[in-house]
Amino acid sequence: MVNSLSQRPRLDPLTRAVVAALWLALGIFVLYPAFRLLWLAFWVEGKFSLANFAPVITNWYDRMALWNSLLLGGAVAVSGTLLGFSFAYAVTRLSLPTWFSMALSAVSMLPLISPPFTSSIALTLSLGPNGILIKLFGLQDFNFYGFWGTFLSETLTFYPVAFMTLTTILSRIDSNLEDAAYSMGASPLRVFRTVTLPLAAPGLANAFLLVFACSLADFATPLVLAGHSFPVLPTQAYLQITGMYDLKGGAALSFMLLVPALIVYGLQYHWLSKKSFVTVSGKAGGRSSVKGPGPVPTALLLAFLTFVAVFILYIYALIFIGSVVRVWGINNTLTFENYKYVFNFGRKAIYDTLIIACVGTPIGGLLSVLVGYATERLKVKGHKTLETVSLLNFALPGTVVGIAYVVAFNSKPLILTGTVTILIASYVFRYDSAGIRNVIAALQQIDPSIEEASASLGASSARTFRKVTLPLVLPAVLAGMRYLFIHSMTAISATIFLVSVRWSLITTRILECMTELQFAQACAFSIVLIILVFIASGFMALLAKLLCRTGNSGGGVR
Amino acid sequence: MSVSLTLNNVNKTFIKDGEEFHAVSDVNLSVNTGEFLTFLGPSGCGKTTTLRMVAGFEMPTTGSILMGDRDITYMPANERNIGFVFQNYALFPHMKIFDNVAYGLRVRGESKTDIARKVREGLALVGLEKAEERYPNQLSGGEQQRVALARVLVLRPSLLLMDEPLSNLDAKLRIHMRSEIRRIQQELSLTCLYVTHDQKEALTMSDRIMVMNRGRIEQVGTPMEIYADPASAFVADFIGQANLIPGTLVAEEGDIGVFETHGVHVKARLGCQTPPAVGKEALLIVRPENLSFAESDNALPIVVEHCLFEGDRLDYQARLAAEGAADKLEMSVPFLPGTQIHADGTNIKVSFQPHGAVIIAK
Repeated sequence: MVNSLSQRPRLDPLTRAVVAALWLALGIFVLYPAFRLLWLAFWVEGKFSLANFAPVITNWYDRMALWNSLLLGGAVAVSGTLLGFSFAYAVTRLSLPTWFSMALSAVSMLPLISPPFTSSIALTLSLGPNGILIKLFGLQDFNFYGFWGTFLSETLTFYPVAFMTLTTILSRIDSNLEDAAYSMGASPLRVFRTVTLPLAAPGLANAFLLVFACSLADFATPLVLAGHSFPVLPTQAYLQITGMYDLKGGAALSFMLLVPALIVYGLQYHWLSKKSFVTVSGKAGGRSSVKGPGPVPTALLLAFLTFVAVFILYIYALIFIGSVVRVWGINNTLTFENYKYVFNFGRKAIYDTLIIACVGTPIGGLLSVLVGYATERLKVKGHKTLETVSLLNFALPGTVVGIAYVVAFNSKPLILTGTVTILIASYVFRYDSAGIRNVIAALQQIDPSIEEASASLGASSARTFRKVTLPLVLPAVLAGMRYLFIHSMTAISATIFLVSVRWSLITTRILECMTELQFAQACAFSIVLIILVFIASGFMALLAKLLCRTGNSGGGVR
Repeated sequence: MSVSLTLNNVNKTFIKDGEEFHAVSDVNLSVNTGEFLTFLGPSGCGKTTTLRMVAGFEMPTTGSILMGDRDITYMPANERNIGFVFQNYALFPHMKIFDNVAYGLRVRGESKTDIARKVREGLALVGLEKAEERYPNQLSGGEQQRVALARVLVLRPSLLLMDEPLSNLDAKLRIHMRSEIRRIQQELSLTCLYVTHDQKEALTMSDRIMVMNRGRIEQVGTPMEIYADPASAFVADFIGQANLIPGTLVAEEGDIGVFETHGVHVKARLGCQTPPAVGKEALLIVRPENLSFAESDNALPIVVEHCLFEGDRLDYQARLAAEGAADKLEMSVPFLPGTQIHADGTNIKVSFQPHGAVIIAK
């Protein structure tokens, strides 16, 4: 009895076995590939060396790729955060009709659940050669490939990340603070400048870092839109490996990507762990009476947001139209040939994608519950490390994970390349992060006394878990599973290295169509994928509603 | 600089889930210059909504609000020169105490030296001279509350509005802050509207109280008027405790009426707010502390059901012991060692001062 505070309850054999299995799984699919990647990058001819990095430093093209990646990331982060903030501000602070703010939110959710090429394809169709906007405005010699095209496409793809983060932050700012400033004589613009904006600052910083990380890791957009004049690291690493079969060079390039990614992750962690100003206190004063920054700025903002929202809808309309014409911009007769093509030659990809997502999602759900429970409730030895390791693959850019998997599982002792296991594992251990975080957050919010109450009423720990804890975290688990499912269907950056003849994916088929300039078929694949994602997402939402009807009463949830 | 305030037929309707909700109905009120007026009522009675309409955070659906002679019904909140103290204080968490208090002065574009002087004076007024350099989360709840008060007082508002400012404080501090707020309000002779659901707070602080229930005014009057002469059963029950006994007014003798319930006749003062008519149904309101076991003609027969020992008092729960009566009675008698305690089931008569009880129309 030296220090009773540090004593943890002894774990029963079953729990020990589960924790051991968790560590084994994370060891194989997270730590081992990362280790093999580092080994390959730094271990040359039997000793530690930086020789593999020599080309990256000396080759001007690779160096340019590094700067371009950082430049692009910074630019997209600025524009994405601004756009996301504008949307979030409009939705949370302006007194808009309900349907209008719902529409803005819904449109902002679209890019989050779409396949990665959607906006690239649509922008190519409008601003590329034969693009309809080019023709409409009669633009000549307009080269949209390179920085600007990539920048525009990534901004539209990633601003929803900032929108989600900032909506949460803004809606948590106590509206009484704005009312207080207002009643002391401040103009709405001054209230915004001195109260709303400073309080949203941590959220803005966080959104900036998130969007920066997304852009840095993005593989699909630059592959289609950046072109040779604007190389970036993820595509360079891909070309190095698939084009020149230079695994070492690719590993070194992807390692260059890893450094800024880890810095961003660290900054973000640092930021979030600091005490935030945003507090929920007293009674919720409802919506503030400060209705926006005055009529003229409000009108301008709304006009701009409507324009953006309409443009996003236009993108989706374009993809659809593109999928039902023969040759875009040349022969605009309606046809279902493209869909025939998709269902004849793409059926296997559709089946494979669905199988992989359907197998991976329940595994991910189980994993999130186990990791969440082990780290947050059991506080097993090394639970902080367990949590960090379980989230590591998500923090790393997809290209890095993909290359690491190729490096690790292409040789003994574990040869998995070409199997479905490697595809499922890469999705589960990468995109389950949302579920793990959700479960941990949910467990933190459930008062431990409610589990103690169950135990004191005579329930065993297994029964308590099944009857009390599980129902309360189920909404979080299902939300995580939905995220995992959607990304298992739409992600490409990691799995592009892992597909094989035996197992193909819709996303890689879209990429193949794009590289062969089969835009119509690419559009048709995209539409099929979007519809599948919508159906799956709706089904998961319905499931959550059915299963969690009683979980939302708020009883016992702090 | 303080002003009077008038509310004319103010109504507020919210649409919630497609259904109309009448939050405030036909509120007419005039507040005198320098007066401390409290809105008292249970939660959801419309008192906060009324206050927020005066502040300009909500707009009345119909009716008008006048400050002095000026119609401010649709004037934006930032032009009204009012001070609003929130229940959760609403201090800006990202600013130091000095900057919080200086906020409104800076909005007015006052000079740096004026601002510094006024902020010091304001903080001195609430006894927090040394907190300037701190952040709100470094202060206790009571201190934060005083900063919130200083922040609006430095602006010398024409009207001070407070929305349950003490409800987040502990009991002892609450009693201290009551007298602090009252002292400052009188010192600056501010017109003040104060919202609370705590009747003790309302009784001790106010010049007048407006009792609200379900969006309507039940009664407006001084604390003593409201306690002694409630206009309705609701007011009688909400302010202090009251036994409400239904019956009939059988006769009038000046300001005293004869009240009959289940064949028992007692005398009590006739209410002035809602005077009952002879021969009509009426309500006898008698406070638990007015009832005693002293022998008197003016008495009700009861059966003791239960007795609770409270230290300085004995609280009896009893039943009216008359043919066909089921009315419950509560009484509270002072206790000193040696005071006789009546056991459960005892049949006994309890008497009361006729002037202490009141009869109102039902």
